Amino acid sequence: MIFANGTLLPDTERNAVLNGLEAQLNAVRGAPPLEAETVISAVDALGRRLEAGEFAPLLARFLPAGVGLDQLLPLLRREALEAKLAAELGPEPFRPRELAQTATHVLPLGVLFHIAPGNMPGLPVYTALEGLLTGNLNLVKLPHGDKGLSLAAFQLLTEQEPRLAPYLYAFDLSSGQREDMKRLADLADGLVVWGGDGAIEAARALAGPGCKLIEWGHRLSFAYVSGYEDRDGELSALARHIVETGQRLCSSCQVIFLDAERQEDGLAFCRAFLPYLERAAAKRPGLGAGASASLSGHTALLERIVDGRAAGETLFQGRGCSVIFRPDRELELSPMEGNVLVKLLPQAELLPALRRQKGRLQTAGLLCAPERREALVDLLSRAGVTRVTRAGSMSASFPGEAHDGEYPLRRCLRVVDVER
Amino acid sequence: MLSRQRLFWRLRPYDLPGSDRAFLRACRDNCAYHIRRCPGYAAICRHLGFSPDQLQSMEDLAKIPVLPTLFFKRKALFSMPQWRMALKVTSSGTSGKFSRIGFDWGCILAEAAMVINLGFRHHLVSPKPAHCVILGYKPHKSNHTGVTRTMFGLTHFSPPLSRTYALRMVEGAYAPDLDSVARALKKLERSHFPTRVIGFPSYLWFGLKRMEELGLRVRLPKGSRIILAGGWKQHAAQEVDKGTLYALVERVLGIPEDNINELFGAVEHPVFYNTCRRHHFHIPAYGRVIIRDPDTLEPLPMGRVGLINLISPLMCATPTLSVMTDDLGCLTPGEQCGCGISTPCLTILGRVGMGDIQTCAAGAAELLGKGEAF
Repeated sequence: MIFANGTLLPDTERNAVLNGLEAQLNAVRGAPPLEAETVISAVDALGRRLEAGEFAPLLARFLPAGVGLDQLLPLLRREALEAKLAAELGPEPFRPRELAQTATHVLPLGVLFHIAPGNMPGLPVYTALEGLLTGNLNLVKLPHGDKGLSLAAFQLLTEQEPRLAPYLYAFDLSSGQREDMKRLADLADGLVVWGGDGAIEAARALAGPGCKLIEWGHRLSFAYVSGYEDRDGELSALARHIVETGQRLCSSCQVIFLDAERQEDGLAFCRAFLPYLERAAAKRPGLGAGASASLSGHTALLERIVDGRAAGETLFQGRGCSVIFRPDRELELSPMEGNVLVKLLPQAELLPALRRQKGRLQTAGLLCAPERREALVDLLSRAGVTRVTRAGSMSASFPGEAHDGEYPLRRCLRVVDVER
Repeated sequence: MLSRQRLFWRLRPYDLPGSDRAFLRACRDNCAYHIRRCPGYAAICRHLGFSPDQLQSMEDLAKIPVLPTLFFKRKALFSMPQWRMALKVTSSGTSGKFSRIGFDWGCILAEAAMVINLGFRHHLVSPKPAHCVILGYKPHKSNHTGVTRTMFGLTHFSPPLSRTYALRMVEGAYAPDLDSVARALKKLERSHFPTRVIGFPSYLWFGLKRMEELGLRVRLPKGSRIILAGGWKQHAAQEVDKGTLYALVERVLGIPEDNINELFGAVEHPVFYNTCRRHHFHIPAYGRVIIRDPDTLEPLPMGRVGLINLISPLMCATPTLSVMTDDLGCLTPGEQCGCGISTPCLTILGRVGMGDIQTCAAGAAELLGKGEAF
């Protein structure tokens, strides 16, 4: 299906829509820009209806069993949207600023082509929303797995506020339809892409030199242990985080780095940490989670053996989880599902080791004595991480925080300087 | 490898105790073969401290390194050069990634003996020609999946008069056409020869539901059979219990429950598991099954639910001696079934669901086969 200018159309109309798109986009661009307030009041009204359960049957149809929009709902409130605008762009961002000889106007970037991810329901809508808040025209390429949730959301949004309709287009395209993807990319001032390395690389090939790339790639996160405030509490919280996120998120702990030099210290930590991980793993319901953990852990071990990487490592097998002590100092993806890597990384070697993963670093869960916290936060920040949290809250979201080290709304804007 | 042929040419397919010695011997030879020819497999055995001489009794089978099917999706291991293989086959790759498995000529020979033997035993073999309706893929040069090969093979249990496929290649992609299948079934109702419906249980279910909705009922000639293979795949969420499906078959096609055979197997473990007349999968002499604790992978006693570890010395081209699927299941004593076959019954309870994992951790999507360009 295609969503164009407030209407749902069959895929057979795609060519017709694409042929007329440039003229339509230009016409909208020529008119006064969309105001953030129009978007905020529409989203707020829709969010309230959503929260009241008005769309429960609709959601039940489109969402996989057991998946809700709980994480998204609080973001669809006036207060949240206004706070986001203020945090990212400062007060009254669209008001012209008078300088000595010029006036500075902030305008939308123009047309954004979003290549939306399929790994979290609602994200295609969220990325378009960031584009709308900044007054941009949005062309959204829907992910494969989207069974219609995003199209339904766009339709509801434009019914709520018809003035948004000319700013929203969505297409069900596959990666194979490269020609149509290229046509959309050629119309865009900015290409917003979410996804893994494959998606990012393909997007880079798609965007011409005149198109700004706004990339939200996949990231890696880790814990850094250099002492404790409350050893028992912090290790329990870290173990719970590892098990509950399944180590699947950008912010999930893949490796626990120890600020230590001696192998014995590393092995002692693993022995001590395993019972914490087992306690957390035992709380998972059903047999499936333990089976996933065992299959992932065992498969990853076999892969390391075949690749000749298993020599020198020590495996601490627990019930439905494991701790793997490895002799190297690299940040890497763990086997996930509750199988965590432990490595030695003395402070002096932290920066060069993390730099080898530049552009992929996200959260560091820092465990240390209170008096050392400030210095270690500085060190981690300089090494390139974009979030430093406590042990258990690596995947928590905090109001007003940036996205992978950037304020997304700023990237969707441009500045026009006008001489008086 | 003679020990393998000796095992697979045995005439009593459900005599487990009688086949134990031959099975153990064939496993020992198979393991030693892979260690000699496949450096990756040798490294795994060395790292895990296993050598074939540790296989002294049937209990020792649990010590053979277990390779999950997930592993074969990430690494292709072969124990012979590709030119020596009879064919290469892939799993169906429901989750986006598939295993690449090589078949050697000795394996094909052993498989043939097993399939003919079990085919007679389960009344699949018949000299009377039959029309075949395949609720699966029409073979195509671009399709290397094991299930396509299996379904095509299954049409040969009786001389095939015609083949109608539900999934045909249209403009470079497979498209389902259940309506033309329904039309074909209506026509075959008047044939003098029986019909064999071979296919995925999910397609049978959806197809018959559709026929029922349209008010289409046929009475296929006497001797017609249903042969189900390949599991529910991506339709696992809609899986219905066997009784409901069989009742629908009887209502819409007029085929009685006794003429429904179900098959189980995997590309990595192509042993020919058949349902008995009470619809249970008894373990044949060509394979052994160990149920393992989902949390520790340790073997579990009879009756407990866990991950399914399948063992067979069938293949020489790929080290699939001991593999583990991502299905949960359990074994129950064969005597409880009451069909007359005394070997333990394997019940498959469903997938662990590794394919459904969504992730944004760097590198994970690629690992899980979701690293598609967009």
